[in-house]
Amino acid sequence: MERVGSIMGSKLVSSIIPVLFGVLGVLVANLPISFLGGWVPPPLLSLMPVYFWCLVRPDLMSPGWAFAIGVLEDIMSGGPPGIWAASFVATYAVIDRQRDAFAGLSGWAAVLGFATAALIACSTDYTIVGVYFGRLVPLAPYVKEFFVTVLFYVPMAFLLGFVHRRLVGPLRSDI
Amino acid sequence: MANGTWRIARTRGSAHLPLIIVAALAVALILIGKAQSSIFDRARAHVMDWMMPALEASRAPVNVANRWIGSIGEIFTVYQENLRLKEENARLRQWHSTAIALDDRLKRYQLLLHAVPDPALSSVVARVIGRASHPFLQTMILDAGKNNGIKPGQSVVDARGMIGRIFLAGERTSWVILLTDLNSRIPVTIEPGSVHAIIAGDNSASPVIDTFSQGRQLAVGDQVVSSGDGGILPAGLPIGTVVADGKGYRVALFADLSTAQDVEILDFKQPPEQPPALTSNDLPVTAAGLPPEAPPPDTTTPATPQGGGPTPAGPGADLAQAPPATPAVTVAPVQPPAAKKVPGATQPAPAGGTADDGVE
Repeated sequence: MERVGSIMGSKLVSSIIPVLFGVLGVLVANLPISFLGGWVPPPLLSLMPVYFWCLVRPDLMSPGWAFAIGVLEDIMSGGPPGIWAASFVATYAVIDRQRDAFAGLSGWAAVLGFATAALIACSTDYTIVGVYFGRLVPLAPYVKEFFVTVLFYVPMAFLLGFVHRRLVGPLRSDI
Repeated sequence: MANGTWRIARTRGSAHLPLIIVAALAVALILIGKAQSSIFDRARAHVMDWMMPALEASRAPVNVANRWIGSIGEIFTVYQENLRLKEENARLRQWHSTAIALDDRLKRYQLLLHAVPDPALSSVVARVIGRASHPFLQTMILDAGKNNGIKPGQSVVDARGMIGRIFLAGERTSWVILLTDLNSRIPVTIEPGSVHAIIAGDNSASPVIDTFSQGRQLAVGDQVVSSGDGGILPAGLPIGTVVADGKGYRVALFADLSTAQDVEILDFKQPPEQPPALTSNDLPVTAAGLPPEAPPPDTTTPATPQGGGPTPAGPGADLAQAPPATPAVTVAPVQPPAAKKVPGATQPAPAGGTADDGVE
C-alpha cells in the first residue's frame, strides 16, 4: 500500500515539474528587470518548457497546460487575454504533428528546431495582434523577441535536460 | 541540448483535453476578452496585488546592480559632468527668477480678467515595481492603487515630463500605459502656434504626431504639451519636442520611460461644468422683446400664500415658476424647458414636433 502511495506521489511531483517550469518562465520573464534600457524584450521563457516536454513527454505537457501557461503569460504581460494562449496552442499543435522530425534533432539542430517553434509562436502572436487591433503592428519588436528567445534557449535546454534526467525521469522510472 | 538523448513518449494519455477543444477555448478567450475586458482586467489586478511583495523584492537587487553598472561609466566623466552641471545650474537660476516674475504677472492678469482658476491638482508619488516591454505592449506597474486614490485615466509624470496614463488600478498596484505604447493616444498642443494634434505610440521610443490641424506647419524643436482636450488630462503637461523622421514628425519625449523609478500620478479634478440657471429673461417671449402675457386667473386652484409653500429647487427651478403657455398667443408655442437643455428637467414635447425642435 505504501509503495502504491509512493509511486502516486512520485508521479504527481514529476507531472508538476514541467508545468512549474512553465509558470516560473512566465514569472521570471515578466519581472521588472530591464536590461539594455528596455531595448530588448524579455525572452519567451515559458515557451521553452512547453516545447521541451511536448517533445520528450507530451503526457506531462498536455495542450491544456500549454493553454494555461499562455493565459498566465497574457495576465502577467498585461496584454489582451488569450493571445499568447492561442499562440502557444498553435505552436503545440505544430510540434505535436511533427514530433518525429523535431525529436530526432540534436546539438545545434535542436536549437534550430526550437527556433522554428519560436517563429511559429511569434508569427501567430503577430497575426492575432494585428487582427485584434485592426492594423499592422511593428515587426521589429517581434524579431528582437524571437532572437532573444532562441539565444536563451541554449542554456535553458541544458537546464531542462538536466531536470528531466535527474528529476522527472527517475520519478517516472522510465528514462 | 540533444533531444535524441531521451526516450520519446508516444502518447499524451486519454485524460487530456483534445487539441481542438483547447484551440477553441483560446479563440473564445480572445473574443470574450475583446468584448468584456473588465473581467480579465480584474483578474490581472488581483494577481498583481498578490504578487506585489515579490515584485518589490526583485526590484531591489536589480536597482543596486543598475546603479553599480551606471556608476562605473560615470567615474570617467565626473569632472566634465560637474562643469556642465554648474553651467546649467547658473542658467537655470536665471530662468527661475524670470519664471517667478512671469508667474506673478500672470496671476495679476488673471485677477484683472476674472479668469477661471486652474483646476485643483493633487498627486500621489509611487514607485515603479514592474516594467513590461513586450512586442505590442509597453507598460509599467506602480506600487499604488485604489487604496491611494488611483483611478484609471490619471496621468503619470516624472520629474521631466509625462510618461503615460493609468489604465488599470488594483487595490495596491496600478498599470500605466506608456506614451510609446501601440494603444496610446494623447491630445496635445504644439507651441508656438497652439497647434492641436494627437500623438500616437507605435512601440518606438518616439511617438508619432498622428493628426494635426490642416494648414499648420510644425518645426523641429517645437514644444509639445498636453492639451487637456476631453477633460481627462490636465492641460500644459510637458511631453517633449518635435523631431522630424523623414516621413513626418515625431515627439522626442522629455521623460526617460526606461529608467524612471519614482513617478507622480496626477489627480486632475476638473469641476463638472454647470449650465447657468435659467431666468424668466431666457424665455423666448421675453427674449423677443414681447411683454409676457399675464396668466389667466385660475379659480380652481387656491392661491399660494406669500412666502409660504415649498420652493422649487434645482436648475429648473425658475422654469417651474414660468407662466403656463396659452393657446391664444401670437408667437411660437412657449417651450421654456426645451429652449435650453437642462439636465434632470422634464421637457414636454410640443404638439407636432419633438422636444428637441426648440433647441437651437
